[in-house]
Amino acid sequence: MILIFGGAYQGKLDYALQRFGLTKDDVAYCTESDRTCPNRKPIVYEADKWILALLRAGEDIDRHIEQFFTDNREAIVICNDISCGVVPEDPILRKWREEVGRFMGEASQRSDEVVRLYCGIPTILKGEK
Amino acid sequence: MQIFISGGCKNGKSTLAQDLAVGQPGKLYYIATMNPADDEDAQRIVRHRKERAGMNFITIEQPVNIEEILEKCHIDGSFLLDSLTALLANEMFSPSGDFDENACERVGAGLEKVLDQIPNIVIVSDYIYSDAIQYDPLTETYRKSLAALDALTAARCDVVLEASYTQITAHKGSVSHEIY
Repeated sequence: MILIFGGAYQGKLDYALQRFGLTKDDVAYCTESDRTCPNRKPIVYEADKWILALLRAGEDIDRHIEQFFTDNREAIVICNDISCGVVPEDPILRKWREEVGRFMGEASQRSDEVVRLYCGIPTILKGEK
Repeated sequence: MQIFISGGCKNGKSTLAQDLAVGQPGKLYYIATMNPADDEDAQRIVRHRKERAGMNFITIEQPVNIEEILEKCHIDGSFLLDSLTALLANEMFSPSGDFDENACERVGAGLEKVLDQIPNIVIVSDYIYSDAIQYDPLTETYRKSLAALDALTAARCDVVLEASYTQITAHKGSVSHEIY
């Protein structure tokens, strides 16, 4: 697995498509209303939104995330970093922020490579630099 | 040298930017972009002016139409443009309450002209992309537009820095001298 993260609009998807020579057809676009595990495409885009969908549906997060990691061993996982703001008032968003943080920590441990995007510029945090 | 700096609020961006601008040759220009909306802004401006006092900056007020600095200044000077955040806000949200979703393209075109002609400039922006708040569509358009301006500027600059509580990460290029 390769984890690519960064703040919103930092060029994460463009970087992945360009680097791996993939197209938008190779991307599983997560939404905050679809809780099906994204596991059929080389790129999982915005895994954080899938986690929000799970939370909204009251699903067992740990079980789903375990399945996600089993299904996506070879995937490029793209996630928004939502960890650096004020604690949200909405309890679901509060939980979401924490679950995404835990997910990213786990994903980072399991990944061969971890890349952070900043203003369109990649920094490799784990893997061959 | 063209330098782009971003980072969170109160992380030391402006101080770093001032020091880097002062280190470049020629007349020193401070491009002030804020359109003071209230007392808090007015106080912020007073504080920033105090910080710059004695640094020989010539202050140019340019809250909109950034390319106009090319006519007002010697382009071979050293410029500090603080910030993209305010420039975009001024062009996108008018005092009358109007919203212009195409402001990003206009500011981007102005910035390209500035970067084409001014070789020594430090440009400051704000990193507002890593929280878990869900915003209304207008704010989201603003965030997306600012990120596009950041990326455009970062791609063109020689050096891209991130300020983290007075620590600096160079994402592109480097600066040699000790700042803090």
